[in-house]
Amino acid sequence: MKIERYDMIVVGAGPAGLSAAIEAAKQGLKTIVFDENERPGGQLFKQIHKFFGSKEHKAKVRGFKIGEELLEEAHRYGVEVILNATVIGLYPQKEVTVKIGEELRHYKGDAVLVATGASENMVNFEGWTLPGVIGAGAAQTMMNLHHIKPGKKVLMLGSGNVGLVVSFQLMQAGCEVVALADAAPRVGGYGVHAAKVARCGVPFYLSHTIVKAEGTDHVTGVVIGQVGADWNIIPGTEKHFDVDTICLAVGLSPMAQLLKQAEVQMADTKGGYVPVCTKDGATSVPGIYAAGDVSGIEEASSAMIEGRMSGAAIACYLGYMSEGEKNARMKELEAQLDTLRQGMFAPKNRGKLVEKTDEGIAVSMNLLENGFVADDEIERYPGVTHQKGIHPVIECTQNIPCNPCQDACPKGCIRIGKNITSLPAVEGKKECVGCGMCVASCSGQAIFLVKEDVEPGFGEVTLPYEFLPVPEVGERGLALGRDGREVCSCEVTKVSKAPAFDYTNLLTIKVPNEMLMTARFYKKA
Amino acid sequence: MFDIQEKLKEIGPYIEEADDDLLVCRCEEVTKGEIRRALHQGIFTIEEMRRYLRSGMGLCQGQTCGKLVKGIIAKELHVSPVDVYPASSRAPMRPTEMRILAEDGGVCHE
Ligand SMILES: Cc1cc2nc3c(=O)[nH]c(=O)nc-3n(C[C@H](O)[C@H](O)[C@H](O)COP(=O)(O)OP(=O)(O)OC[C@H]3O[C@@H](n4cnc5c(N)ncnc54)[C@H](O)[C@@H]3O)c2cc1C
Ligand code: SF4
Ligand code: SF4
Repeated sequence: MKIERYDMIVVGAGPAGLSAAIEAAKQGLKTIVFDENERPGGQLFKQIHKFFGSKEHKAKVRGFKIGEELLEEAHRYGVEVILNATVIGLYPQKEVTVKIGEELRHYKGDAVLVATGASENMVNFEGWTLPGVIGAGAAQTMMNLHHIKPGKKVLMLGSGNVGLVVSFQLMQAGCEVVALADAAPRVGGYGVHAAKVARCGVPFYLSHTIVKAEGTDHVTGVVIGQVGADWNIIPGTEKHFDVDTICLAVGLSPMAQLLKQAEVQMADTKGGYVPVCTKDGATSVPGIYAAGDVSGIEEASSAMIEGRMSGAAIACYLGYMSEGEKNARMKELEAQLDTLRQGMFAPKNRGKLVEKTDEGIAVSMNLLENGFVADDEIERYPGVTHQKGIHPVIECTQNIPCNPCQDACPKGCIRIGKNITSLPAVEGKKECVGCGMCVASCSGQAIFLVKEDVEPGFGEVTLPYEFLPVPEVGERGLALGRDGREVCSCEVTKVSKAPAFDYTNLLTIKVPNEMLMTARFYKKA
Repeated sequence: MFDIQEKLKEIGPYIEEADDDLLVCRCEEVTKGEIRRALHQGIFTIEEMRRYLRSGMGLCQGQTCGKLVKGIIAKELHVSPVDVYPASSRAPMRPTEMRILAEDGGVCHE
């Protein structure tokens, strides 16, 4: 039996694994990464939306691009990345058995990092095994990798970021999302993600779950019902929808089996079955580390930082970096991680109802219960101002770790400040030139440009538009409100596409002045 | 772990539920009712359940139903899912053909 040796073996080429490999290879470690997929990047290669965060976390870059950039960097530092390679065994001696194609191969590392990510959870209901019931991850794989529409009419279960993002992507792919349901009483994901789904006209059913899927050999419909305090369906609240697809986005569970196999000490927690590890990912078995979703579900941005921390820790463990160098690097990375773990969605706030923003402004309850900020709530946020000339209206109302809008404005009209979770505020004294960079850069598609009186009684709203076909100038259609309902008819007066906008087209519509604070989406008549 | 006899007394007899014919493990076609009945026969851990009913032993290796089975066990035993003893993990982590295992990187002479 031949055993190949490496300084560091990484299982999983997602953001955590690749970042760790890059960090270690920079210090001179001979590093190999295995991934069972045919494409590197883990969850990232399916993500076509722009990411949150700040510049260091690659904010406003689309997910799959971040994956490509990481892979390119890994190659540059001499990391070997082996795809179609499933790790089927990990042993405490840091030996790894890998199935590559049709062959088993054996490797031994002086250190092993497990960055295997997570798998999707399932729920059971009558008819859940019918073809047409799919996971959100599968829907993404079909659409974004294989360019196949998962169905025509879809019901989404799950209002976390995955459910919200995938609902939007389903509509981008041309599916109709008939409703979004969640058993929880409040939207779980970012308000800006919810708002962009709601304004397309998708109704939100919170405190609702699936009663049954209908159909004999495939899904032809779905029944949802309201859940009571005892988590049972309240009789009489059932609603039927004609759908051919039911998409489930009900959470992720860490895939930590390899670590258990390697006799690492594990803990069963609310967030899943995870390895017990230190901040830098060291487990109870010397030389075996864990980073990313496998040690607790978070985000790609935090997975990348955790990966770098583990990479540095392993470099130090194997003598490629002094203790002092490692500590300095850790401090830097910890500070970055800390900025991400602030705000309303910080790990410490999970499951809690946050009623006030850090600025002391009441959080929109309508956003949490229906997916959009109500017209009478929007005025209280610092991104919403009234000015005569063209100016941005920023409908970003929760403290999330994100700030590309601030960097985007060449005129300094948008301020978030040092703390990236602060709400973006519009600086009234700075003059907006209407360039649209803020609209295109906003990962949450939450920025609009508003201009009163372009002609008597009429003004213009510019909005981000990521659907095809792109409307033509002169086209007449309907303006939709934040709730997705028709508010007035309108005319498309400008369509801007620029390489700097990175495929977010800007659509300008002309509406009556009194609709400038209501019209937020466009639908062809 | 708990005393099996004591626990069986505490949870009382198996009572049929309306959704007992719901498939939980679709790879091996194990229903909720089968799992509940096994519990009342003293099968309290995921490991035993896998051996007894083959739930979680199919193609996806329990990736889909693992958490669901755990939830059913916890509910029936009146404990938190966190306290249900997990299955052991062993190689191969993913279904692997015997031929590939037997060759082990070399060439198999049939
Ligand atoms: C729809 C959706 C939207 C998201 N949006 C955002 C966002 O806007 N911003 C953000 O920061 N995060 C976002 N995330 C979260 C982010 O994608 C994940 O948190 C992140 O990818 C976790 O990184 P990871 O490296 O730990 O794991 P993964 O990305 O899951 O990578 C793990 C890799 O390990 C491989 N693997 C697993 N087991 C084995 C094995 N036995 N052998 C070989 N290879 C194996 C897998 O094939 C996979 O490629 C989103 C996630 C989803 C699903
Ligand atoms: S349109 Fe241009 S100038 Fe105006 S706020 Fe946005 S980025 Fe700044
Ligand atoms: S407004 Fe700014 S902080 Fe809010 S989602 Fe958009 S880019 Fe991020």
